[in-house]
Amino acid sequence: MSHRIYLLPPWLRLWHWTNATLMIVLAVTGASLHFADPGLYLVPFSLAAKIHDIAGVALLVAYGFFVLANIVTGNWWQYVPKPPGVLARCWKQTVFYGWGIFHGAPHPYPPTKEANFNALQAIVYWVIMYLVVPTVILTGVVFLFPDLAPARVFGLDGLLPVAMLHYLSGAAVILFMLAHIYLGTTGVRPTSLFKMMITGWHEE
Amino acid sequence: MRPRTKSLFAALAFTASVAIPGAGIAADVKGAAPTDPALIEKIRKSNAECYACHTEAGLKNPPRADMDMAALAKFIHDPKQFDGSNHTGMECKVCHGQGYVAFPHAPEAKKSISECGECHATKALRVETQFEDSIHAKNLADKFTCQTCHDPHVYKVAAKVGDPRKIVEQDNAMCVDCHNSDLRYSAFSTALPTKKVRPDLYATHDWLPNARLHWSAVRCIECHTPVSPVKSLATSHEILAKDKSDKACVTCHSQDSALASRLYRYASTNVGADLGFANASVLGSAYVVGATRHPLIDRAVIGLFGLTVVGLLGHGALRIVMAFFRRRRAS
Repeated sequence: MSHRIYLLPPWLRLWHWTNATLMIVLAVTGASLHFADPGLYLVPFSLAAKIHDIAGVALLVAYGFFVLANIVTGNWWQYVPKPPGVLARCWKQTVFYGWGIFHGAPHPYPPTKEANFNALQAIVYWVIMYLVVPTVILTGVVFLFPDLAPARVFGLDGLLPVAMLHYLSGAAVILFMLAHIYLGTTGVRPTSLFKMMITGWHEE
Repeated sequence: MRPRTKSLFAALAFTASVAIPGAGIAADVKGAAPTDPALIEKIRKSNAECYACHTEAGLKNPPRADMDMAALAKFIHDPKQFDGSNHTGMECKVCHGQGYVAFPHAPEAKKSISECGECHATKALRVETQFEDSIHAKNLADKFTCQTCHDPHVYKVAAKVGDPRKIVEQDNAMCVDCHNSDLRYSAFSTALPTKKVRPDLYATHDWLPNARLHWSAVRCIECHTPVSPVKSLATSHEILAKDKSDKACVTCHSQDSALASRLYRYASTNVGADLGFANASVLGSAYVVGATRHPLIDRAVIGLFGLTVVGLLGHGALRIVMAFFRRRRAS
């Protein structure tokens, strides 16, 4: 008989899926815009531009909600890796993904009500949610209002550094998303963690 | 007379006119302002006679009392603008012929104004062929001339303007002068079989993301003229109607951007080229999504994406295989 604990409140699950949907939409339309070419069969450019703008603003709203809800509920504390031994726990988690997982070893740090995330997860999520995603959003806002960008930087159009940051931080989010979705299959069953994100109940 | 025949005739007329003594004084080198100080002074003096009346100053203090001020007000020019135009250094009388030498000007003087093709014969031959296929020629025929768009007292060709932002400002002003003015538009649309109401520019461009930004950054003709397959050719004078205009954003928003060979063909490449950016000449004054990208960075990002996907799929496959062996061992 498996053990179940209730980990994720409805607001967090609602935000997660909203965020996930918007990120996927933004990734596909963003790629359609950046790699635009007559031979690229993704979303047509003008449609991609419109969808990307709308989804980008929606992501900003969703992110604002995420930050506020984290402050109000105290959930922000989950993203803080707690010393001592943070690096050692990260290493143990990495070794699990690189070795133990293939040999049926148990997760070294299964989630608890007090600590939803293992140390590696907490650090990566913190970097993504509090550094990379705000960078994508802020640079996206400048893209929406290009007058906010400096006119010129080192003899080039001032929007260039903004655009490069937007592109590279967006690419980082996409790479994170790929790994995040894959690691979602590492529960007791490949579907367990996806179910958890829907029901809020974690199964061990 | 067919326009092409007219051009050939004009070329001959120009050849004849330069041999006629007393004709206006033009530059000694085609397309360049004169350099001979005596000639410059002669032209300055000759033009000063025209400017005595045909300027704001002349309008305020006319040199004669018997002038039709209402008529004069329609023909006011700015010498500074003229000096910045293509025709700088030319004597007014090169185009405004003998009928304008004395005052009052001859009643039929207007007929003696030279046609553009008299000097620009070669260009006129090419332009006329394109113009004949344009929506302007189809709808307005002879009512639409070079000067409807190109004011010879002001206009400067893109090659001489150089700065793409200034080219856009100058060239788009020509279009919106009519297409954003009910008064000017209706003056032309009366020639149509059924009078046309000026379409609202925002409504006709509602499909275009960031229309206002486009209007300040690129010329109307980027989309409203066909892209020549020969990139060295200048922009076309075949202005297209909205249903035939280019709606493919990727014409400009792609690595093989038409902007580089059209609007930015005279812009100098700069630090962006040294850094390895595609369409670096564009990057000097604009960031264009899809065009001003860095091929090496793109390859690195695509490579990382591919490695991540392959790595994760490999990890997953190994998990499945190992789980299979574990189950077999257990059973």
